[in-house]
Amino acid sequence: MPATATKKPSAATGAVHIFGIRHHGPGSARSVRQALKELRPDCVLVEGPPDADELLPLLVHKAMKPPVALLVYAADKPSHAVYYPFAAFSPEWQAIQHALTAKVSVRFMDLPQAHQLLPEDAEPPKIPEPGENGETEGDAVEHQDEPRRDPLGWMAEAAGFSDGERWWEHMVEHRRDGTDLFAAIGEAMTALRAELPRHDDLREDRREAFMRRTIRAAQAGGFQRIAVVCGAWHVPALAAMPSAEHDEAILKGLPTAKVKATWVPWTHGRLTYASGYGAGIESPGWYEHIWKHADHVVPHWLTRVARLLREEDLDASSAHIIETVRLAEALAAMRGQPLPGLAELNEAICTVLCFGDDTPMRLIHRKLIVGEKLGAVPDETPAVPLQQDLTREQKRLKLEPSADFTTEDYDLRKPLDLDRSHLLHRLNLLKVPWGAVEQAGGKKGTFHELWRLQWQPEFAVALIEAGVWGNTIVDAATARTRDLADHAPNLPALTTLLDGALLADLPDAVPYLMRQLESEAALTSDVTHLMDALPPLANVLRYGDVRKTDTTMIGHAVRGIVARICVNLPLACGSLDNDAAAQMFEHILKVDAAIGLLQDDAMRREWQDVLHRLADRPGLHGLIQGRACRLLLDAGEFDAEEAAKRLSLALSVASDPTQAAGWIEGLLKGSGLILLHDDALWDVLDGWVASLSAEAFLPVLPLVRRTFSTFHAPERRQTGERARRGSAKKTSMTTSAADFDVARAEAVLPLVAKLLGIPLDLKSSPSPESKP
Amino acid sequence: MSAKKGNSKPTATAVIPAPAGASAPTTVLREHAEQQFREELEALARVDDKPRPPRWKLSPWAVATYLLGGTLSDGFVVSPKYIGSRRLIEIAIATLATDRALLLLGVPGTAKSWVSEHLSAAVSGDSTMLVQGTAGTSEEAIRYGWNYAKLLAEGPSMGALVPSPVMRAMGDGKIARVEELTRIPADVQDTLITILSEKTLPIPELGEEVQATKGFNVIATANNRDKGVNELSSALRRRFNTVVLPVPDSADEEVKIVQTRVAALGRALELPAEAPALEEIRRLVTIFRELREGRTTDGKTKLKSPTGTMSTAEAISVVGHGLALAAHFGDGSLRAGDVAAGLVGVVVKDPVQDRAVWQEYLETVVKERDGWKDLYRACRDVS
Repeated sequence: MPATATKKPSAATGAVHIFGIRHHGPGSARSVRQALKELRPDCVLVEGPPDADELLPLLVHKAMKPPVALLVYAADKPSHAVYYPFAAFSPEWQAIQHALTAKVSVRFMDLPQAHQLLPEDAEPPKIPEPGENGETEGDAVEHQDEPRRDPLGWMAEAAGFSDGERWWEHMVEHRRDGTDLFAAIGEAMTALRAELPRHDDLREDRREAFMRRTIRAAQAGGFQRIAVVCGAWHVPALAAMPSAEHDEAILKGLPTAKVKATWVPWTHGRLTYASGYGAGIESPGWYEHIWKHADHVVPHWLTRVARLLREEDLDASSAHIIETVRLAEALAAMRGQPLPGLAELNEAICTVLCFGDDTPMRLIHRKLIVGEKLGAVPDETPAVPLQQDLTREQKRLKLEPSADFTTEDYDLRKPLDLDRSHLLHRLNLLKVPWGAVEQAGGKKGTFHELWRLQWQPEFAVALIEAGVWGNTIVDAATARTRDLADHAPNLPALTTLLDGALLADLPDAVPYLMRQLESEAALTSDVTHLMDALPPLANVLRYGDVRKTDTTMIGHAVRGIVARICVNLPLACGSLDNDAAAQMFEHILKVDAAIGLLQDDAMRREWQDVLHRLADRPGLHGLIQGRACRLLLDAGEFDAEEAAKRLSLALSVASDPTQAAGWIEGLLKGSGLILLHDDALWDVLDGWVASLSAEAFLPVLPLVRRTFSTFHAPERRQTGERARRGSAKKTSMTTSAADFDVARAEAVLPLVAKLLGIPLDLKSSPSPESKP
Repeated sequence: MSAKKGNSKPTATAVIPAPAGASAPTTVLREHAEQQFREELEALARVDDKPRPPRWKLSPWAVATYLLGGTLSDGFVVSPKYIGSRRLIEIAIATLATDRALLLLGVPGTAKSWVSEHLSAAVSGDSTMLVQGTAGTSEEAIRYGWNYAKLLAEGPSMGALVPSPVMRAMGDGKIARVEELTRIPADVQDTLITILSEKTLPIPELGEEVQATKGFNVIATANNRDKGVNELSSALRRRFNTVVLPVPDSADEEVKIVQTRVAALGRALELPAEAPALEEIRRLVTIFRELREGRTTDGKTKLKSPTGTMSTAEAISVVGHGLALAAHFGDGSLRAGDVAAGLVGVVVKDPVQDRAVWQEYLETVVKERDGWKDLYRACRDVS
């Protein structure tokens, strides 16, 4: 029999072999696999939640592809959950796989989550981290915490290694005997635990007591060779068995909650989070590499790095790789390490392959060190909580999934319909397109939403995939939105996403999106993107929208965007061709409308300053200049006289005809009807035409005509008629607030409100003081 | 970091440590590193029992200690020459130990030349094998020239040859230094390729060659903002390991550097102005750091960066300029208006792009910050 960590000293029948491992340590995994092969145990106990025992057989299912995670959650509140992630290089995974392949008994032995996921806990112990409840212990906790969570990594560091895995490898390589190692680890941990001050942690004691109880049960079950795979830290606690009564006393009277467990697909990126075993790993891709390539780790790794760089069109020759290996080894030697670790490799890669530039390093980190691997689980896996949450929501909102098309009209003023709309929008964000918004016809107000619903069987799969984002629809949609925001390529994509998040009512995602949006806005060099982003934001900000969104965040972003538009617009308007100018014209119109909507004096002043600059700047496209002048005229910044002066300046004989034609087009484009009813504009044009001498009129006629020909025929006719009437100006009634009787006007408001179907605040305070 | 640079260039980060031990009084304005810190080098050599690469005066470990400072086993205290990342210095030394050439990159004022000088002083005990790169650096400066009188009198011979510092370093197995490599014309740069890859320097006129002795290596420095000037050919670049020296890590360090340098500057110029308020310097350093890093210090807002370097050295000159203004035209104490003019000049190097960057920064960051109103107005006035 190979060397064992500990033999059960008591009279009990089964011999217990304890393998202290490093969670997610490929070196440990290799050693454990080797040791189990030699030991051929008839029972394997693994540190993990016994709540998930019945799920273990799925682990050898063909469709099971690590990285996956065991998810244990409270049955009545799925957001209350713990994940136990596994990668192929996790020792636990290898141990279970060995047991299942050899068809011997395997079970988890940690304290069941049923005793830990208690509904009354305000904060679920998501990350079972020793010491996190000890606020009063001060500094001591920090020192203890480190060795406890990753005792082997800590010891490696103490031994001068930058990387716990390289240390393990080094130890194993030199010992040439994996199993002996576990005895050594047991000794080391005993010494470590004796050295560190005893840290009272009831939960920790319970966990270890439960592990011992499981071991006793296995012994009582008549197993002869029991293999125990647990975090190295627990080895001494399991090796020295106190009396069964002692443990039962600790475990007595634990409250129990109803929990469920399932497998969910996991990603390498998520392995980097600390959860479940409490040990998030920073470099799953690197660990996987170590796991796959037992020999020649460094050359293989650097070759992969070089290939990745070549794919990105960066030079990386074989000569580079050789130099990188040499530098990494020299660095390791300088630091007194026998083998270069990931830190040395990274530094060598950065220095030799990337010429000191850390941008490619980020790529290497993302693609190789973390890796982009996504796991898969078999179809037989029990339903994920996300699915259950959806079922609950469907029941609550009385929305039955149906394979047929149905069309629903939701009135967003009704809470039930609003919730339904939120749910459908959230599902869309999770790539479960159960419903699609039909573009509502013109007769509908903003409070109506027309949905076309059809449930497809693939959605069940999509939901399992979405399970990686969270356990409730809201959580998952929020997490996914944030992830999408991280990968959004440009500002319009972010705006669309924000729109989606607002529609789906994801209050936790919105601040994040706004931050991203602000960052992106700061960096974007395309002012038209900014101009595109502004109107929807302004809309939400001004009307708050039927959905009662919190708009303070948006206010800040909008101010930033307006400031940036104002700084960059004059630059962006330089040297535009006709098409670009026409587009810019539309953008300026939209921004002007948005700024009008915002009713913020500071912003309006800023915007008008920019319009002044546009109007004054020589060499700008006429269309833009004309419109700037028009907008300022509309805003009352220019009086009729000033506008007329500019008009005649722009249409002077000396002006380039195309420029002049553009100018007047900019001034009047799309305003045929407005021209008829807006006295100010009419006066400017009329006054200018009247002031022209017959000789001067002829050359400008074609220019003016070009714009007027874009108006509808009736508009042109009426324009002519009005011009004939001459100075008979008062065609439209001008009213000022002082002219009408406020009390009488308010009397009709309730009826108008009823007709329009909007709630009216005035009802509560019918006094006329609300009117200025 | 904070680091120092020894040569005559004005630098942001020079905080020259006091020479260790009493060296004999000298009339030299500035001593070489190996002279100034002779005692430290000797002390290190005494306790250094680690293996040394061929012809190295110290082991790589001792070289790192010399640069980063530390206390030796016999209690001798070595002053730090470079305050910053230990890992960077280790990479640099490991590079020299692998016989690859070392290229130190960084914006001006990040102690490239200073590190290069001290590395060669510690490794070879000689930091004088120096080629200063300029637009006018010729091939002779890197390979060899001729003593024409001798050449005419005696004909071509080794005696008539004038070796360059690089050639001497090759013969003696020492470190040669090339300053401002990217300023040297590309064709002249490429003469280094043979030296670095074949470790030999042929002399076709004599049919001979000089082969590098073990211990020879090259440390080059280059300004990575001047990349466009004479970018290294990829053949040459491949021969170098590149270490980028960063700008100061924390705002506090940078504030301290600016403060000490400005105080020294004020004394030198005999300005009657008061010492600038810490607040004003802190504000200025904040602006420099934010624009340089492209984000606000609270990490919440991203910013565009101007084309200029925004180095610590420039921050110092802005304060210096502001002090002069305050002293001669103001009330003697540094106010927002005094720094504004210099500040805008430093930020706006490209009249179109940088102006937009600066205005964005003004409107979105400076304007909204509490207590920065005076600076905002002053900057708007000069913009």
